[in-house]
Order: sequence, then C-alpha cells, then structure tokens
Amino acid sequence: MIDLAAIVSQVRQGMIPAHVYADPEIFAAERDRLFARSWTFLAHESEIPDPGDYVVRRVLADSFIVARDEAGVVRVMFNMCLHRGMQVCRAELGNASHFRCPYHAWTYRNDGRLAGLPFHEEAYGGEDGFARAGQSLLPAPSMGIHNGLIFISLDPDAPSLAGYLGDFAFYLDFYTRQGPAGLELRGPQRWRIKANWKIGAENFAGDSYHTPHTHASVVDIGLFREPKASKRKEGALYQAGPGAGTTYKLPPGGGFADQLRYVGYPDAMIPGMAAAWSDRQRALVADSGFMPSAATLFPNLSFVHNWPQIDADGTVAPFISLRQWQPVSERETEVLSWFAVDAAAPEDFKRRSYTAYLMCFGSSGMFEQDDVENWVSITDMAAGSMARRLTLNSRMGLTSEGKPVKPPLATFAGPGLAYQGFGEYGQRHWLGLWADCLSREAQ
Amino acid sequence: MTAGRPLPYGDPAHLAAHQFLVEEAALLDAADFAGWLGLLCEDIRYLMPVRVTTARGAGFDSLADMGHFDEDMYALRKRVQRLATDHAWTEDPPSRTRHFVTNVRTFRAEGDDLRVESALLLFRSRGDTREPSLISAGRTDLLRATADGLRLARREITVDESVLRTQNLAVFL
Repeated sequence: MIDLAAIVSQVRQGMIPAHVYADPEIFAAERDRLFARSWTFLAHESEIPDPGDYVVRRVLADSFIVARDEAGVVRVMFNMCLHRGMQVCRAELGNASHFRCPYHAWTYRNDGRLAGLPFHEEAYGGEDGFARAGQSLLPAPSMGIHNGLIFISLDPDAPSLAGYLGDFAFYLDFYTRQGPAGLELRGPQRWRIKANWKIGAENFAGDSYHTPHTHASVVDIGLFREPKASKRKEGALYQAGPGAGTTYKLPPGGGFADQLRYVGYPDAMIPGMAAAWSDRQRALVADSGFMPSAATLFPNLSFVHNWPQIDADGTVAPFISLRQWQPVSERETEVLSWFAVDAAAPEDFKRRSYTAYLMCFGSSGMFEQDDVENWVSITDMAAGSMARRLTLNSRMGLTSEGKPVKPPLATFAGPGLAYQGFGEYGQRHWLGLWADCLSREAQ
Repeated sequence: MTAGRPLPYGDPAHLAAHQFLVEEAALLDAADFAGWLGLLCEDIRYLMPVRVTTARGAGFDSLADMGHFDEDMYALRKRVQRLATDHAWTEDPPSRTRHFVTNVRTFRAEGDDLRVESALLLFRSRGDTREPSLISAGRTDLLRATADGLRLARREITVDESVLRTQNLAVFL
C-alpha cells in the first residue's frame, strides 16, 4: 500500500517519489480522484463541422461519441448501448444520422435519443414494458466549449469550464484563437508510447531546461535556432489558473507586427491576431517581447508553437500543435497530436505551417522523437524497487527556504506569475494541481 | 496512368524494380541513410497518411489532410542529417531494424516510369529489455528511369494501424 498523503506532501515540496511514474496504485488514484473529476479535452468543433459529423474519443477507458446533431448542437454521449452494453459506434470518425448497435439493433439519433428498438411491441409489450420516451445514450456528466475546444468532466457537479480555465484562458488564445474565424484542427496522429502520461504533461508545462540538450540535434542541423541555451534561458515561464507554459524572448525593439513577422506569420494574418487578442495579450508579444511556445492545460492537454526553417531558402514557418497525453496504464500513454492553424489563414501559409509541424512534432517530428525516448526511459527506470528509494529533485529555481531564486517578472503583461530563466516553476505548478486532485476523496 | 495488369514476374522491368526495393531495404537496415538519399529523385514526395477506422461504406479510411510523413527532399535530408549528429538520442543507441519487402507488383506508368506496389513489415528492436515493435504497411512507389538507373520519385505508405505501436517514426519505411 502506498502512503498517498506522504507522496502528495513530498510532491508539494518539489520532491517527487520516482515510482509515481510507473506505479499501478498511483494510476488507480489518478483514475478515481483526478480523471473522474477534471475537465478533459475531447475534440475541437472544427473536427465535426457539419450536422451528423462525429468523432469517437476516450477519457481513459470510457469511450464517448462527440457528434454534431441535426440541429447543429455538439453532443457528447457515452458510447455504450443502454441494452447490453455494446460499443454503439466503433468507427473513430464519420457522418451519421443514427448510430445502430450491432448486437440487437437498438438505434440512437445523433443527439443520443433512442429512436427505435426491434419488436418493441412484441418483445416488451410496447411502452408499458420498456418506455422508449426519454431514453438516451448517457450524456457526458458535464460539457463545456471554449474557443471551439470541447471538454467534458465525469463529475456532474464540476465547476463551469470558464471558471476552471480562469486566467489560463488568456494564454489559451495564443494557441487557439489567432483570428475571428477560429482554429482548424487536423489529425490527430495517434501512437502509443511506453511512458507515463504525466511526464509529457509536465515537460510542456515548463521544461525549458531540457531544450538545449535534448533538442541539440535540431540546432545542429539548422532546423530551429532558438533552442540554444543562451536563447532559451531568456524566455519567460508562466503559470496561471490550471495551466503553465514557456515562451521565447523575441528580439528587442520589435512592434506587434514585427514580432509576428519574425516568427513567420504573413502580413495577411496579422490583422486577425490584432483583432482577436486584447490589448494585454498584444502587449505580451509587443511590449514584454515574449512569444508563447509550449504549455500544458491540466491535466493532459498540451500545446506547442515553434517556428522552424522549412526549406533551403531559409523560410521560417510557425506551427501550432495540440496534443493529448491519454493514459492507457501507468506505463503506457496514447499520444494524440493535432496540427492546428487559423481557419482563415492563406492556403500557402497552411501548407508551410503543416510542413513545419511534421518536421518538428507528432509521430515523426524531430523534436518529439527525442522527447519520447527520454520519457520511455524514465518510465522504465521508475518501475523497479530502487526507484522507491529515490526522490527526484524538481526544485529548480527555489532556494532551500522555498523562495524563488529570482523574483517574478514585474512587467510581464499576462496574468498569473512569470519567471525569466531556467526553473521548474511550471512543472511544480502542474504537480501542485496533481497533488490537489490526489488529495480529494475518490469519486 | 497505370496499365491494369502487373508485369509478369519474369519481365526485366519487374526484376529491376524488385531488386531496387531489396537494395533500398538493405541500405536502410545497414543505417546507410546517406546512401538511401542517393536513391531518391530530387523532387521526391514521401507520404504516409494517417489511417483511421471508419464504417464500411464511409468511402475513406485515411485522413486526406494529415499524415505521419509528407516530405520533400529538404525535409528528408534534414532527417538524415539529424541522425548523423551526436545528439539524435532516440536512435543512439540505434534501433536494429529489418525491412521485409514482399508482394511486389510492378505496373508500367508514364514513359519509362514504373509504379510498384509492395508490402512492408518493419521489425524494430531498441535496447535490451524493450518489446520490439512492428509496422506493417503497403507502399505504392513511382520509380523513374534515370541515366543512373531507377530512382524513387514518389512513395505513399499505407500503414495498417490507426494507432501506431512504435515510440516514434525515427525510421524510414
């Protein structure tokens, strides 16, 4: 038996018992205390643009149909037949007016309502034996949409999504609202890695320290210049609400438009960003001089925004990726990685941005390849006996008394706290949220 | 673009195409990636769409706008250059790979070009304790006849899983 309270207490000190990255008891606690209640991402509205469009996504072992019904309303339904429990929809995407269970042909409309079952009169005696009226696939206990991102919570009493996102919504816009038209998601690429789900989430929340070494090869080959340590340590690390992330310091003296041009945005897109973002959001880029890079929204949705060189002429193209660390077990994670782009962006920009994404992130990405190698190795090492005697030091940026080595940035335009220089601030923020969840009673 | 029937197995064009694929696999398994680049046309397109699970009759089973690979020569050169650095951790120590190429069918395409379909099974083993991974795929290649012999002008990889069971695609298929 693990002592969960002791583990949580150590984690709050920035000291992580190494076994939490491969422990089935921790995984069960995460399932029952964290994923049973947290808001988790399922899909983006652009993946189901038309009535009848659907995708099938999971929260751990629970499968959900995310559909746009005939009236255009987004519905999230537990994908289990009310009668004998078959998975009603076994495709992962498509367009359908109805979902018919293969077992006994119970049929549901794409809003989840039971439309019919064979021999209702003969088999059940009609409505008397089985009242069809009001029967529906179980809806997600809570659902919310922000910037087209569809989230659910398994907790019917979850706080509102907007309340949950809080100050992180400010940063979310940089990744998911680059113009009035909103985002267009493509994918996801899906693959399974033998790594604990927390490692990727923590990494994206604030690990600027790994970039210069883990990703040295992409600097070596001239794909992306920014990860050099001299550059990376100038970035601000922010934490706000349920999220945290990293930025790159932009060259001094640039205005809003110049900074966006520097990372490769065409002039045609700059008015959209200027219109979609608030004064304060624009000031983060223009006055503070920081460009958002990686981030994680607790628990398991991460974002990345980089701007590699995609051809021999030196063309720089930015890209955005959303990625989810979907837990399979304490030692395995399914990665879902989407390419995201402003829906109104020029087609040639979309093409360049997609090229940039594929070169850097996703199943074949040259950044991601080396990340996953590290995460698989950590998970392997965490599974043994000796890992139970090791606590990993995640206190970078803190003095022995727990004070920041450097004070937070005084002039940072965004909400929350931001620090400049290396430090595991974002990871500790994420781990603090994890500790809060594991301290709750199981659902 | 393609004649309907594959060339007979004894046809010299089929034999040349088959040999090309086997020699290519030998280069990849020997980790001679620079040598492998030498088999590609400068205008190569190297594609691997994301496969998806759809209902029979949906009319598609891969994503039209998202791949695992969608590469030109610049991108492939960068990948090869990266593997040659001292910092490509995911392949250091390197994977042991074996590309099994079979079910080769050759069709005449435009001019002297050949369209070649093949089945590929990639076995990949990393380290001493990890489970190996397998990637099964079909490939449709366009081989161009050049003064230096056949060269790969286009490859489309149809992977047989919607969720890959390998930690990354730091490999070529």
